[in-house]
Amino acid sequence: MTRHTRLVMSMIYWAFVLYIFVPLILMITMGFKDSKFIGFPIRSWTLDWYVEVFKDSEVLSAFGYSMLIGVSSTLISLVVGIWIAVLLNGRGFIGKGLIYGLTLLPALIPGIISAISFRIYAQLWGIPPGTGAIIWCHAVHNVPFVMLIVAARLSTLPKSHLDAAQDLGADPIIAFLRVTLPYLRPALIGGGIFCMLISFDDFVRSFFLGGYQPTLPVLIFAKLRSGMSPEINAIATVVLVLTGLLGIWAERTTRRMKQGKLQS
Amino acid sequence: MSGKVQTSAATLAGERGAGNRTGEREGRSFWGAIAASQLYQTFSNALLSSPRRQFVILLAFPVLWVLTQHLGPMLQMFYVSFVDAYPVSRGYEQQFTFDNYARFFGSAIFVMPFFRTLAFAATLTLATLVLTYPVAYFLARHVKRSNQMVFLLLLLIPFWVGEIVRTYAIMILLGNNGAVNLALKWLGLIDRPIPFMYTGFSLSVGIIYLSALYMLLPLYSALEKLPRSYTEAAADLGAGPWTRFWKVTLPLSLEGISSGATLVFLISTGYYATPVLLGGPSTTVFAETIAGFFHTAGDEWPTGAAFACLMFVTALAISLAFGRLMTRLQKGVRK
Repeated sequence: MTRHTRLVMSMIYWAFVLYIFVPLILMITMGFKDSKFIGFPIRSWTLDWYVEVFKDSEVLSAFGYSMLIGVSSTLISLVVGIWIAVLLNGRGFIGKGLIYGLTLLPALIPGIISAISFRIYAQLWGIPPGTGAIIWCHAVHNVPFVMLIVAARLSTLPKSHLDAAQDLGADPIIAFLRVTLPYLRPALIGGGIFCMLISFDDFVRSFFLGGYQPTLPVLIFAKLRSGMSPEINAIATVVLVLTGLLGIWAERTTRRMKQGKLQS
Repeated sequence: MSGKVQTSAATLAGERGAGNRTGEREGRSFWGAIAASQLYQTFSNALLSSPRRQFVILLAFPVLWVLTQHLGPMLQMFYVSFVDAYPVSRGYEQQFTFDNYARFFGSAIFVMPFFRTLAFAATLTLATLVLTYPVAYFLARHVKRSNQMVFLLLLLIPFWVGEIVRTYAIMILLGNNGAVNLALKWLGLIDRPIPFMYTGFSLSVGIIYLSALYMLLPLYSALEKLPRSYTEAAADLGAGPWTRFWKVTLPLSLEGISSGATLVFLISTGYYATPVLLGGPSTTVFAETIAGFFHTAGDEWPTGAAFACLMFVTALAISLAFGRLMTRLQKGVRK
């Protein structure tokens, strides 16, 4: 490849990086503006909006609520996702492909359709809109991601490990708990954080399945509809920093796992 | 690795009291005690008596889960789309009907957003492909393998920030007092701000911003797998850069294009908050139409369900047709 094309390609890459980052950087900057009015130019700077955020009980409770939903739904997704991955990693059976396809289904259904189908389904089971319904919908939505990440790790588990355990008298349950599960650890950390982030960021499902208590994205949406304010920028910046850092960590864990750098 | 096997072997042996002393101490304490306990023995005997029974237990839960949790909501929605009332009030007899579907075809305010959404999603998928292909190519072919992860991570960070936050960032970028207008004014290109917001343009920028990753990652992994020797061989045989791209690189990355495009297309038909915040009356998408039936006090869920089914089935059919086309193209390449 010639030098010339290489240069053009790298310029396109950096332009793309700018496209991705500039809006976020502008949004962060606006959170330090000493005025109620969103827009450039910024003449004086302040940290007041951050103080405001940490005093705003509505924001804090929405944050806690989103965390609660994220953790609970992630735990469910992990159990189900591991179970399905173990099944699919095992011996062949009729309908294996179908189970695989159906497992991936929630990841392919467009957001709005997923949200309202669960709204209707919750009605069928008599589950009122609110915490339970959101956790349930988030858990189902995240199962495919857990399954894929766990299955990728599971496929690299040497069969000799499990054989050794069986030879030494471990039954399948003990072998799973003491050999398979520890081996899956990087996949569980990575997958778990992904689920947490997807759940924490989710708007459309929480919006249609929520009760009176808003999750953080739903609260930000409601605030946005009544007008932009630098306080929203401050909230968004806090969310951005937290999710960004967690995302990097999870991404690193799973990528290194796939490259085989992480041994159990 | 082998050391690991040996240590775990020792502890596992300890469980069943095989006489290894270190194992005895470690294993007996927790796992050994559990494995030896009467309760666990009864439990495991009942569950694991035969390989067949083990498999049935392993199989039963996932089958039950995917049928009731993954397929169930869709089937229920499909069913509701054919009834005249849902949720049913007490004493009311539910009737089977096609009216919910008939309502769609009867009115332009429903048909327009439907086709607008599909056209929008298709255009944006193409735009995302054109935008991200060079980026993925650069990452996979020009960046040193050891640096690729850092370069990729740089792009991934913002994608972990949710739909709402990123949509808001676009609002600040494109607003009348936004950065773009400010920059244009500063350059002396405009006198008064260009109203970017609440148009098809702002919505497109927002949706591409949200879904670029779903295109970038499949493209990157397809291009990364492609051996460099292929293009080198083509070059040796006298092919110029364009020929190499059209005849070698592009055909061999069809798989990545296919899965990326399918994902972006399906996902971008489902955005709800972004069109509400970035779009205007002239850009109403079908997601907003569907959502409308679930906001109103009146009992219009069946209509909403019917519209959602129409959307999903159409989007899925288009994706499948596209997938088939791509597979056919790929087969043509292999010949």
